[in-house]
Amino acid sequence: MEASFVTDLRSSPPGASFSGFERFFREEYPAVVRIAFGVVGDAQAAQDVAQDVFISAFKRFPEPGDSDHARAWVRAAAAHTALNAIRGERRRERRQRSAAVEVPAAGPEETVLDAESRTEVRRALSRLPRKAAAVLVLRHNGLSYAEVAEAMNVKVGHVGTMLRRAESALRKELQNAPRT
Amino acid sequence: MRHVPSPVLRRLEDEPMAVPDVARRHLDDCRRCQAQSTEIAADAALAARVLAAPPEVGDIDLEWILLQDRLSRPGAARRPAVRPSRRMPRRLVNVSVGAGSAVVASVLAVGAAAAAVLTTVYAPTQVAPVRINANDLHAIENIMGISRLSGDLGPSGSTQLTFGKLSWSSAGPAQQVASLARASAMTHLAFPTPATLPSGVGAIGRITVQPQVTATVRFSQNAGPAVAGSTLTITAGPAIAVQYASTSGRSNLMTLAIVAARRPVASVKGEGGASGATASQLETFLLSRPGLPADLVQEIRLLGNPASVLPVPVPSGLWELKEQIGGAPAVLVTDPNGFASGVIWESGDGILHGVGGLLDKQDVFNVARQIG
Repeated sequence: MEASFVTDLRSSPPGASFSGFERFFREEYPAVVRIAFGVVGDAQAAQDVAQDVFISAFKRFPEPGDSDHARAWVRAAAAHTALNAIRGERRRERRQRSAAVEVPAAGPEETVLDAESRTEVRRALSRLPRKAAAVLVLRHNGLSYAEVAEAMNVKVGHVGTMLRRAESALRKELQNAPRT
Repeated sequence: MRHVPSPVLRRLEDEPMAVPDVARRHLDDCRRCQAQSTEIAADAALAARVLAAPPEVGDIDLEWILLQDRLSRPGAARRPAVRPSRRMPRRLVNVSVGAGSAVVASVLAVGAAAAAVLTTVYAPTQVAPVRINANDLHAIENIMGISRLSGDLGPSGSTQLTFGKLSWSSAGPAQQVASLARASAMTHLAFPTPATLPSGVGAIGRITVQPQVTATVRFSQNAGPAVAGSTLTITAGPAIAVQYASTSGRSNLMTLAIVAARRPVASVKGEGGASGATASQLETFLLSRPGLPADLVQEIRLLGNPASVLPVPVPSGLWELKEQIGGAPAVLVTDPNGFASGVIWESGDGILHGVGGLLDKQDVFNVARQIG
């Protein structure tokens, strides 16, 4: 399923009409950009993610109408695309660190609030299993259990299990976050 | 009953009605489940706190325009959307004088027109100053052929330009109305008024409503292959203008004007359902017109992405200051003697605001801050 969320960046055919897509875009954009922001923690980056998501969505659903499937798809795509973005960022950071002077680890005086900073949250999310991170982001951006289930292609009864594990894992990641 | 499974305890936090009564009853009596429920609730609260998104989600109009642009350009979807820089160059310039509310009125009108002709798809989110002099205006008139349009344009009409045909229509004539409530009902624009007025400013003397205006430019073959056949459609308004009289008893002397207008938005389409010229193609075309002063072109390029910036022309002889009103960039224009000033800004809801009058810049700024 993850492969289906990889952004298809081919251009649209010449003469394509966007009128059938506009209402869908306007209705879904706020949810998509909020989900993306929950992962990347930066408004501009979230808007970039949302753009990529809707580029892909247009290829797949040029006339989405009131399709619940299309709505679920863009929300899940927002989570996965944003997670891809922060994982790419993490890889870049690792490369930069390996080429740079080693940064000393943080001392015990640093506060819990530091560990909850946006950067730490992004890093913690990037270390979680992909599905766990996606469930967290979707649920905490207002999707119901049924909507999360639709977006993640799992049964509704399984959402509580995934969410519980993901929240527990997130707390542990934040508590044990290695500082850079 | 067995202990309540943790996923059920978790769902109890969010959707209690989806959890069987028997589980809730068990929880009431089971300390072990209560302890686990507390831990689960704490984890859920932590996740909710750190994953909370801001209420602001960006400008949907602008994002839709950017998306269309990327979808319509071969290869453009591979590149990220280009948004305007959030920083703008700061400077104070000297250039010639205008007066009173005419400063704001001309700034709104000329700014919208200038922006409209410089972009294809356009939804400004902020204002920025562009220095302009009489030669620049003359050059623009010549290039567009708009000098023939001087005088009363009427509610609709058309004229031939050097590179296409310009048509315009209004949803109705401008009209004076008796109350702000009536003006708001006609335009669906909120119109806050200042609680405190500067010294010398009297009661509201005139309220004018301008319905929405639509203009289209259909580019002919003279425009070259990149833009020929494209049709640019610009909508602006509706708008409300409120003018205040003086306290001196001279009812015909307007001392302060406040304007609110829906921002201009432009879109482009091609022939036969094609997507038409892109924003960058139209920008390139318009900025490369022979006769357009190089300094003006440079000023416009300094704005960054013209699709989201409303250029505010600052005539020669006026002073221009960059300010903030309600967190939005604002351009304050004043004459060097302090006789007249005006300020323009766009609020986050896509409404352009202007305040101007026979006042010094501090008075105008104080009024703007009350309504911004």
